Amino acid sequence: MQSQQVQQNPAKRVTTLKPFEIRGRFFTAVAVHLTGPADAAFYQALDTQIGQTPQFFDSAPIVLDLQNAAGFGSSEEMGLLVAQMRSRNLLVFGIQHGTDQQMQAARGAGLIPMSGGKDKPLDRQRPPRAQAETPAQKAPEPASRLITEPVRSGQTIFADRGDLVVVGPVSSGAELIASGNIHVYGTLRGRAMAGVNGDHNARIFCHSLDAELLAIAGLYRTSDDLPADMRKKNVQAYLQDDVLRIEAIG
Amino acid sequence: MSKVIVVTSGKGGVGKTTSAAAVSAGLAMRGHKTCVIDFDVGLRNLDMIMGCERRVVFDFINVIQGDAKLKQALIKDKRIDTLSVLPTSQTRDKDALTKEGVKQVLDELREEFDYIVCDSPAGIERGAHLAMYFADEAIVVTNPEVSSVRDSDRVLGLLNSKTHIAERGDGSAIRAHLLLTRFDNRRSASGEMMSVEDVLDILAIPLLGIIPESQTVLKASNVGMPVVMDDKSAAGKAYTEAVGRLLGEQIEIRMDVGERRGLWQRLMGRTA
Ligand SMILES: Nc1ncnc2c1ncn2[C@@H]1O[C@H](COP(=O)(O)OP(=O)(O)O)[C@@H](O)[C@H]1O
Ligand SMILES: [Mg+2]
Repeated sequence: MQSQQVQQNPAKRVTTLKPFEIRGRFFTAVAVHLTGPADAAFYQALDTQIGQTPQFFDSAPIVLDLQNAAGFGSSEEMGLLVAQMRSRNLLVFGIQHGTDQQMQAARGAGLIPMSGGKDKPLDRQRPPRAQAETPAQKAPEPASRLITEPVRSGQTIFADRGDLVVVGPVSSGAELIASGNIHVYGTLRGRAMAGVNGDHNARIFCHSLDAELLAIAGLYRTSDDLPADMRKKNVQAYLQDDVLRIEAIG
Repeated sequence: MSKVIVVTSGKGGVGKTTSAAAVSAGLAMRGHKTCVIDFDVGLRNLDMIMGCERRVVFDFINVIQGDAKLKQALIKDKRIDTLSVLPTSQTRDKDALTKEGVKQVLDELREEFDYIVCDSPAGIERGAHLAMYFADEAIVVTNPEVSSVRDSDRVLGLLNSKTHIAERGDGSAIRAHLLLTRFDNRRSASGEMMSVEDVLDILAIPLLGIIPESQTVLKASNVGMPVVMDDKSAAGKAYTEAVGRLLGEQIEIRMDVGERRGLWQRLMGRTA
């Protein structure tokens, strides 16, 4: 029925199917604050940072902040800076807090002047890539991962954008990795690494602890130094003053 | 509809071939047209346990490579007329197995047989992978000891990810059953070997049966008779019952000593 109508009346189809939709979108960008001219020392520091944390800028949109870089900013300098950053795979797209002259130069170099927005310390080594759409449109995609099968020896389950929830046993020789928390509703006999992107607030919860290794933000304990009285208990593990603590819950 | 069942374990020497022979003979004795295939290329021994090693002319590899027709390679059992054996090659190596070739042979067998039982080699390499790849169900053979249980666990992970059914990605999975073999009540009760409960706790799949450690198994394989045909031996009975459960019958799992209260319900609850 419908397809017939469409054939008879093609103009109608065009009007009912909008060619585009407009939606609001919030996202997180990395702000790089310049504190002086973009000279050799600047590029060296930048390269050192990239070398130390290769994933830090990976796929992250970058805004240049010129609040403390008053002297800098001829069209030439700006063009060079943008080219240099892009050649390092840094996705610089915007500029903020510049003088009129700086903003002008930046626009010439293809950057978008940004206003508004607030700086926030990045509490993960890597900026979150999940971008929440406006709530009125659609709920954001869940960043957590749910596994309802036993996790077997030799398997690795990775939740790179949030929590990992396992309903079932995790075998010795299996590996759970999450950027957020790890929850195991079953016996944890394998390895669990939470907060792998550096989140010190991440925790590991399990119904019965028999793990080979627990780690949070890179700080770990192996089965040998897990407290004996916590074995087979319902526990949580968390960081306190850079010590991985394990305590019974429930 | 025919079913392909892989008998697998990860670890060697746990009783895969013994079990593949017993289960296929047991299915055939109940009248199901059954074929058992040896995937352990280079270490032919299924045909020995089935008592047909002197009748091997062509083998699985010959068929895959187009040197023989499937009919020429299949050996009909002399005792059970619904049972056939597809032996493997003693001289080639496992690289002679190809996914395409295996699929072709299995597809052809599916037309004639109700059950196709694949006896997997040890390990998780090519031979073992191809033995499980096209399976509908799996019998995971495990001994009550830590290394065997861990290898079985690994294999269960592969069954859930590296098989035809798993790769369809529609959430369907191979039905896996646990067959606990070489079980010694005394050694399990004394803590020398793992308990049934401990094994089930780790592997978390339904228990198909418990086969006791028994001298009759060795004797039976020496004379080329699947132990399931010896209905007086404990091991033979245990295999017969396991076959019944595989076919969906509710048969209580028997253990002589060492069981705890409530274990019956638990075992029954886990049976298919
Ligand atoms: N229930 C059992 N009791 C005693 N011996 C057994 C039992 N099951 C298997 N065996 C013996 O263990 C050895 C290995 O068995 P096999 O079936 O060839 O294992 P796999 O195929 O897993 O390598 C053989 O010598 C076999 O006779
Ligand atoms: Mg074998």
